[in-house]
Amino acid sequence: MSPRIQKALFLAPAVLMLAVFFIFPIFEALRLSFTNSAGLGDYDYVGFENYVRIFTRSRYYDTFRVTLEFVAIVVVVQTTLGLIFATALHAMPRIRNICRAALFMPAMMSFIIVGYVWSFILSPFSGGLNAVLDLMGLGAFKHEWLGDPTTALLLVAAAHVWMFTGYTCAIFLAGYANIPTDLEEAARLDGANGWQRFRMIQLPLLAPSFTVNIMLSTIGTMKAFELPFVMTKGDPDGATRTVGLQIIQTLFREYHFGLASALSIVLLVIVLLVAFVQNWLLRAREDIL
Amino acid sequence: MTMTTRQSNQFLAKQFPVKQFLAHVFVLGLVAVMLLPVAYMVLMSFRNGQEVVNAPLALPEHWRFENYANAYEKMSYLRSILNSLGITIAVTIAVSFTGALAAYPLSRSKSRSTQVTISLLSLCLATPSFVTITPIYETFARIGLLDTYLGVILAFTALNLPLAIFFYTSFIRAIPKELEEAAELDGCSQFQIFWYVIRPLLGPATATLSLFVMLMVWNDFIYPLLLLTDDKKFTVMMSVYHFVGNHSLNPEELFPAAVLGSLPLLVLFIVFQRRIVNGITAGAVK
Repeated sequence: MSPRIQKALFLAPAVLMLAVFFIFPIFEALRLSFTNSAGLGDYDYVGFENYVRIFTRSRYYDTFRVTLEFVAIVVVVQTTLGLIFATALHAMPRIRNICRAALFMPAMMSFIIVGYVWSFILSPFSGGLNAVLDLMGLGAFKHEWLGDPTTALLLVAAAHVWMFTGYTCAIFLAGYANIPTDLEEAARLDGANGWQRFRMIQLPLLAPSFTVNIMLSTIGTMKAFELPFVMTKGDPDGATRTVGLQIIQTLFREYHFGLASALSIVLLVIVLLVAFVQNWLLRAREDIL
Repeated sequence: MTMTTRQSNQFLAKQFPVKQFLAHVFVLGLVAVMLLPVAYMVLMSFRNGQEVVNAPLALPEHWRFENYANAYEKMSYLRSILNSLGITIAVTIAVSFTGALAAYPLSRSKSRSTQVTISLLSLCLATPSFVTITPIYETFARIGLLDTYLGVILAFTALNLPLAIFFYTSFIRAIPKELEEAAELDGCSQFQIFWYVIRPLLGPATATLSLFVMLMVWNDFIYPLLLLTDDKKFTVMMSVYHFVGNHSLNPEELFPAAVLGSLPLLVLFIVFQRRIVNGITAGAVK
């Protein structure tokens, strides 16, 4: 057997799987997005009708805005928190491992369960957060957290950040472990204070960890639907309806497969665009630093 | 490295013992705050609805294990655990076999077709499940794979495959080529080299990969939601969802179900925490 044929045989099972479960479905979704398919029955081709609907109706346009807001909040807060924890723990070897594990624990739980637990914590009457505020004499700040359009998305994002801060922190800690210690020692001997060492040495050398963290959390949150699905159903007033949730509702509630496919194609294009631009920007930044 | 860190720490400890101590306490306190929702979940699971309404933050008056008995029963807990476990094992075997097989030629070639295949894999990795679920659902409906274990196993295998190929490719690249060359001189075919030389070395990569598979099979929601309707075949997360429901949040049902649903992975995590965090972090960085 020629090496070429042998190579093809090695690749065959994987290629077959990927063709059946990724490549064919992507093209099939593209085709469905031009139809009015409503499940398993007959359907007609309707041209760009679904896309026109997505780009002209505020209901769909809003889901993209909500998703991008959600992504922005999670990426900024989670990266910042993860970096703060990692920086503190890097300087505290005695408690580093135990804290790293403790922070990581929520990432082992599922979105469904985290969504349920946080819904209860945030519920207006017997929920934990309002009770804690009462206890601290801050009763005035008690709130119907998930019922108010201004706080709902923030708190769904908080649940997400809570789940994955430990993940971000662990990646930053791995980045810290790769920084040669003599570099820090040299800076110390040159009289650099803690902030200067962080700003001039650690932060630039953590650039690859920033890339990984930001890319992972962006791709992860662009697809988010589980937390809003469990916590708010997209309410109040669409304030937490992400594209993912809209797709699920279009599929299961409205059985509008054509429109759902069009939404998912638009989402795919945005995900790829964002991933591409981010990768390019962050890698360029790595080179500069 | 540990030496120098330790020395500098001792140096600091001598200089600012109190300040250092307080900093440690502060960080431990923050970490404890992050764990409050987990503690809340466990403590609430032993209380009943009335107690929670009367005193939202009180500790359990007495430990109501009957909450657990009830949830265990109604969730068909054991059965759903076995379903998740079985699916995890099947997916791990299938994905590690197909993944390693495909990774072997990819890791040994720098040709253009290899580059194209690898960028195609990144595309698959970034594709949101929403894009593929509708066509997969329709195909499965047509060929009778809806509501079968086989269907779910195939779908999860495909979902994990791009990641698996990446894992194995970077892992095999680190294996010295001399091993293969020696086997080639001895007259082994490519497949024999893969099976007898490469495959036995892949253990660590497979262990890390199985972590990712397990996390996905236990926690993923969208595939079982779409592909399974028979509650005898439900994964753990599906039975939690069906038991707790979506309208009223009854603490007597919600919290025991949440604890039972998280328990297997949390126990595993507590036992193997160092390996799991390292494995997942290394996997993400690669």
